[in-house]
Amino acid sequence: MEPMPQNTSSQEVYDAVVVGSGAGGGTAVHVLTAKGLKVALLEAGPMLDVATEFKEHKVPTDYDHRGAEEGGKSYFGQGKPFGFFSTTSGGWQLEGEPYTVGEGSQFQWFRSRILGGRTNHYGRMSFRFAEYDFKPYDKDGLGFNWPISYQDIAPYYDKAEEFIGVAGTRENVPSCPDGKFHAAPPPKVHEMLVKKACDKLGIICIANRRAVITKNLNGRAACHYCGQCGRGCQTASAYSSAQVQVFPAMKTGKLKVFDLAMVREVLTDNNGKATGVLYIDKKTRTEKIIKAKVVVLAASACESTRILLNSKSKEFPNGLANGSGMLGRYLMDTVGFGLSGTVPALEGMPHYNTDGYGGAHLFMPWWLWDKHNKLDFPRGYHIEIGGGYGMPSVGGYHGAARRFGYGANMKSKIRESYGTSIGFAGRGEMIPNIHSYCELDPNVVDKWGIPVLKFHFKWTDYEWKQARHMEKTFADIITTMGGKVSGLSASQRESQGISIPGTIIHEVGGARMGKSAKDSILNGYCQTHEMKNLFVMDGASFASNPDKNPTLTINALAWRACDYLAEEMKKGNV
Amino acid sequence: MSNFVPLETLDRRSLIRTIALGLTALGTLDVEAAQHVHTETAAEKAKGPYKVKTFTPAEYKTLQRLAVLIVPPDSVSGSALDAGAPEFIDTLASQNQQIADIFHGGLAWLDAEMRKRYSSTFVAAKPEQQTQMLDALVEAGRELAERQNEELVYQKSPIYKDFTGYTVRRANELGAGVAFFDWVRKMTVDAFYTSPIGFKDLNYIGNRALSRYVVPAEAMDYAMKRSPFA
Ligand SMILES: Cc1cc2nc3c(=O)[nH]c(=O)nc-3n(C[C@H](O)[C@H](O)[C@H](O)COP(=O)(O)OP(=O)(O)OC[C@H]3O[C@@H](n4cnc5c(N)ncnc54)[C@H](O)[C@@H]3O)c2cc1C
Ligand code: SF4
Repeated sequence: MEPMPQNTSSQEVYDAVVVGSGAGGGTAVHVLTAKGLKVALLEAGPMLDVATEFKEHKVPTDYDHRGAEEGGKSYFGQGKPFGFFSTTSGGWQLEGEPYTVGEGSQFQWFRSRILGGRTNHYGRMSFRFAEYDFKPYDKDGLGFNWPISYQDIAPYYDKAEEFIGVAGTRENVPSCPDGKFHAAPPPKVHEMLVKKACDKLGIICIANRRAVITKNLNGRAACHYCGQCGRGCQTASAYSSAQVQVFPAMKTGKLKVFDLAMVREVLTDNNGKATGVLYIDKKTRTEKIIKAKVVVLAASACESTRILLNSKSKEFPNGLANGSGMLGRYLMDTVGFGLSGTVPALEGMPHYNTDGYGGAHLFMPWWLWDKHNKLDFPRGYHIEIGGGYGMPSVGGYHGAARRFGYGANMKSKIRESYGTSIGFAGRGEMIPNIHSYCELDPNVVDKWGIPVLKFHFKWTDYEWKQARHMEKTFADIITTMGGKVSGLSASQRESQGISIPGTIIHEVGGARMGKSAKDSILNGYCQTHEMKNLFVMDGASFASNPDKNPTLTINALAWRACDYLAEEMKKGNV
Repeated sequence: MSNFVPLETLDRRSLIRTIALGLTALGTLDVEAAQHVHTETAAEKAKGPYKVKTFTPAEYKTLQRLAVLIVPPDSVSGSALDAGAPEFIDTLASQNQQIADIFHGGLAWLDAEMRKRYSSTFVAAKPEQQTQMLDALVEAGRELAERQNEELVYQKSPIYKDFTGYTVRRANELGAGVAFFDWVRKMTVDAFYTSPIGFKDLNYIGNRALSRYVVPAEAMDYAMKRSPFA
């Protein structure tokens, strides 16, 4: 390929440049433009056209390949992750944009390249962190405290929930604080069985909390229960940053979106200030510059870390804002484990529409928060439920077909067993450790010439033991429901008893917040300790990774950071 | 990531857009319009006879016969042939030489084996001979799968650490047929269950547009009565 020409002609200076349009970037452009700032948004992927991209009302026969993809890719393990219909716009690998993994480590990194990032298809599970989640070190002497408390962020959880819309119920469970909820849909039959079993076992089971609106909000229609949020929601009843934040912000006239703009580094002057960013315009393969008074990185936890690491100069040989050497350190994912079973009580049940609002209607928050002295692992997990009469799809019946042979018998067996299984997924908190981090790979660049990340990751006994507790709990629930565990065999358990790091797609940390510039990158407002006009507003800021899925907290932290940023700007401090 | 152009008419696309707009503007839902989209799709598919792209007439006939044997019609629903399984396989084979090879080769193997056994091609053989053949493949497939599991355990067990004897796989003379049948079966089953006929067979009634989500008491009572919580 040809060397990349540079084009620095655009000399307009924005109030802020935001890098990345996912949960963090979407919130940033929404809040900053509402405050009247002139904002540039740079997104490495293309613009989003929901009419062509989102497939929630498609069925397999709308395509000759029925979802197996052109040439039957899915039969060779080369189909889209989560299936053809999902709006992933990316996946575990991106063509021409590799990452590497250190010897002895396993790590998988899920990236989406499109306006809205991963929020177009994410699961929308939206849980507040608990009070104790912000001070984990105080609780058990492990990991790190956050520099902020629940009280600091609570008003922003309120704002975020009220704006993006989260359905749920008020339950007063200390491990999972209540929020400002839309009405939650009623539990499905298999979920009621789970709840009964949980009641017996002393496990809390309550309405799920998902970023889906069940009454109209700001021109968005209430959910119509088509059950396919992972395919994108054309009516924006499920939150996606593109539809809910970026598009409205564009209408204010305060936002300019640059798509297919891959940021390489943050530019600085000699006075310790960021002056803008340098990006590769993918359309023309040219280097371009955007100047701004404030730089906000929100390209996803690892990608923002990568940009900072790549913003090397004589003054900053280890990357920007990295005087502490902590950049890339204490990378975390969520501990995952799954088990499934079959439930005789569901056999022969009159079928009904179980699609609902696109995810389980119940879930189990961590219920043993005050019993850790009786457990052999330090942190909690929540449980997600799977089951029901899902839309038939390519690949859904291969196992059953093998089991039952072929012919009339196979056909009736598949019919009878449809919708009778139940699945559980544990989502647990890991303890940040020194073996889990990312750095620049000195030998590899992507097709834009940008050095790529190399990942290192290790689970420890804390996580492994937590996964064993999940396994026992799920088996207990299944048997208490009168069901049979069909999950893992002994030999499988050896290798697959815990999720591969990265695969729960809750990777956070890398530029964590803390009280001191000596051992952290950001302060409690997502502002770098070392550069007043440089912020990181995605999961990179996380000091710990509680069992709650991270996105709602990314929204809330970004909102709080933007309020602070605007205030500081007014005062002339940034 | 760009997908290839979806097979849909402009009409259908604009219909969906209309629903989306209608929803956003009015905040209420035209359930009928949404349902219409689904019916449209089915109608769209019902046009014209299919032109075979990859397989010879003889091969295609075999695929058609296999489709009926793998998912036969019954009182609930039609067969995988009715659901378009041969079309599905032919279409993907026309796009991917690897799939074409698997099926050309596998179908040839099947006829060769049938000639050895019954002096007839698969299609021309008696129905009971056809099912005997498939039964033999299912049986051989189970044996192979079991032995693979055994090997896994032997390899893993520390007791057998230095023992390599079991890692040598005995060849099964039906091995090639087993692999082929697995392909035919999985693609046939996929085509069947993803079709409107398959949806009906499983009685899948989701992906609608509802103004309110309710769980029928009838279903709830049914399961509760049969559960340990009755
Ligand atoms: C299948 C799936 C299910 C999930 N379920 C849940 C869930 O239920 N609940 C939950 O809380 N979380 C869930 N998550 C995680 C959730 O998607 C992320 O936490 C969230 O999207 C993170 O937001 P973000 O803004 O940090 O990054 P992203 O959403 O990843 O957005 C980052 C954006 O930045 C762009 N970008 C990257 N690099 C550059 C660059 N150099 N220059 C310019 N732009 C760049 C990307 O193209 C992307 O659009 C799920 C994720 C997946 C994949
Ligand atoms: S279930 Fe509701 S939120 Fe999800 S895609 Fe359908 S309409 Fe949208």
